[in-house]
Amino acid sequence: MDGGVRVASAAVQRPDRHAHFRKHENALPAIPRGAGFSFAAASFGSGAESIEVTAFDRVLDFDTRTGQVEVEAGATLGALFEILAVRGYYLPVQPGHHRITVGGCIAANVHGKNPARDGTFVAQVESVRLFHPHHGCLELSRDKEPALFHATCGGMGLTGIIVAARLRTQRLPGASLRVAHRQVTTIAEGAGLLTEDAARSDLAYGWFDCARRGRAHGRGIVVTGQFVSTRETESTLKLPRSRFSPEARAWLPFSLLNPASIRLVNAAYFWSLRRSSNTIVTLADGLYPTRANELYLSLFGRRGLHECQALVPHANLAEFAARLRDHATRAGACITLTVAKPFNGTSDLIRFDGSGISLAIEMPRSAAADRLLPEVDRLVVDLGGRPNIIKDSRLPRSIFEATYPDCDRFRTILRRWDPQRLFRSELSERLGL
Amino acid sequence: MSALVFGASAGLGRALARELASRGENLVLVARNPEDLAAEAAHLRTVYGATVEWMALDASDPRATEELTELAGAAAIRDLFFPIGMGIEEDDGSLPPATIAALVSANLTSVMAAVSLFLPRLLAANVGNIIGIGSVAALRGRSRNVAYAAAKRGLESYFESLRHRTAASGVRVQFYRLGYLDTQMSFGRHLPFPKASVQAIACTVMRNLGKDVGCMPLPAFWRPVGWALRALPWRIYRRLNF
Repeated sequence: MDGGVRVASAAVQRPDRHAHFRKHENALPAIPRGAGFSFAAASFGSGAESIEVTAFDRVLDFDTRTGQVEVEAGATLGALFEILAVRGYYLPVQPGHHRITVGGCIAANVHGKNPARDGTFVAQVESVRLFHPHHGCLELSRDKEPALFHATCGGMGLTGIIVAARLRTQRLPGASLRVAHRQVTTIAEGAGLLTEDAARSDLAYGWFDCARRGRAHGRGIVVTGQFVSTRETESTLKLPRSRFSPEARAWLPFSLLNPASIRLVNAAYFWSLRRSSNTIVTLADGLYPTRANELYLSLFGRRGLHECQALVPHANLAEFAARLRDHATRAGACITLTVAKPFNGTSDLIRFDGSGISLAIEMPRSAAADRLLPEVDRLVVDLGGRPNIIKDSRLPRSIFEATYPDCDRFRTILRRWDPQRLFRSELSERLGL
Repeated sequence: MSALVFGASAGLGRALARELASRGENLVLVARNPEDLAAEAAHLRTVYGATVEWMALDASDPRATEELTELAGAAAIRDLFFPIGMGIEEDDGSLPPATIAALVSANLTSVMAAVSLFLPRLLAANVGNIIGIGSVAALRGRSRNVAYAAAKRGLESYFESLRHRTAASGVRVQFYRLGYLDTQMSFGRHLPFPKASVQAIACTVMRNLGKDVGCMPLPAFWRPVGWALRALPWRIYRRLNF
């Protein structure tokens, strides 16, 4: 999706019948694929056939007593949202685009709008049905095959193909979100507000302008929101159609983002948010904000963008922000977007979680970005941070191993389950998984 | 009132079943694999609250449709949908006899047999729709799908006869001659004409229910393509490699 990794001839198949999930011995290397929206190359790789699961899109059961929904892996978050919302339920942890699949969310263990309060996607997974050609289909949960369950949730599709899952939904507290925007002058100040407000917010993130020079550098807006009850209408619970895809993102042959245009866009965004201190937004806009960023992402053109996201301990955030600024200035790199979210969990295996503030930064692909990113890697290691492997398509193995102390345990579980290591992607090869 | 959908677990059959369920129709789903049928039925019940039954049946087995006899006698089925078909890569005129029998059964005789079980009741009730799905492959025979094209052309002829048989009644017989569809069969293949989405086709079929549309090529651009293909003199057609 970020334009960083391309395969010359992609072998993709899109099965639509359960006969595909039969035990057999002569399987070839493969990797499951959902919507293909991840920035890192997690759903394809040379020598591995991508198995797109989007035809398995059914909602099999919804139990209003327990609030649990059983859904096939190819169902999109948007389709599930429309079905759940009319019944008064929703999934608290969801990434920003409604075309992302449930299987992809589990495999990448994505986070939502307030990870400090809601945790990451695994928190709402009750059980998973996993297919591996040598083992057939297996039900996994915290009680049944717990090691494999935990390796599958956030396992980047390397344990096999997630066929279906049972998810824990919650009562939808309202049909809209009241969103407050507060202006801050530094990233550290914003992080303080986010940490303070996380417990009482349904949505909490900060946006910062790191393209500016001088005193305005790092100024930003802290966005917090709560569900509010407004009159529900059919239209507020329907999502607009989107044709966004990795190909659609890259339709522009060149990038329109340069330091001057980025400063202009950021300034306009800052002033537009500053003026609207308290607004009511629809569920669709509140839960799936990336939809509004489709145009922004396509401005990076065919060459694409770099995103990297790191979880930094609270105590080191101010130093991280200051050193990031120095490195960016020295490298001549222009950061288009900086987004912060509060975290308050613990990381397990290769899942992106922990306690601190995550900072995601984006920039156009350029020589300056190539100079900056290794510096950011070193900075993350120095300050006890952890990079997000699903966001960064170039993250080197050495940095991954230095920041994920559990990675060897993940490797051991994986090899015990699948000695032949049938499921592999560009990501798994790069990180030595 | 119920609708019977053949091939309901994937492709166009799945799209038609979902459209029907969203309109509040009761459904009987028929396909080969019980697991796929159970999953699709669960989806239609959970999402649309539809009343759904299913029956696993292999249309390539000429005798399999006999299992529908009981259903034809009991249920108030008014609409029959046959979005089924079976193509084989090596269909160049030298398939083994058993394979040809299976192919002709899946594309032609199973549909004829199923219709014959339900037709008397539909005529007696003087209401209903019978929807056949053909292929542009039937426009002119070609070396790449010898038996398939023959079976589909037979199906067109059968639906024309059926339309004639029901002309004086309230039963509507419709036939859609489809081009390439965006299904698992065509996934990843580069084809000379665009692939139509099964949802779009299903919507058109739903809109036309109850109308006397006869034989309709879908998407519409296939109509002039069909004329052109049929008008090609043999001297030119024989040289085409497609």
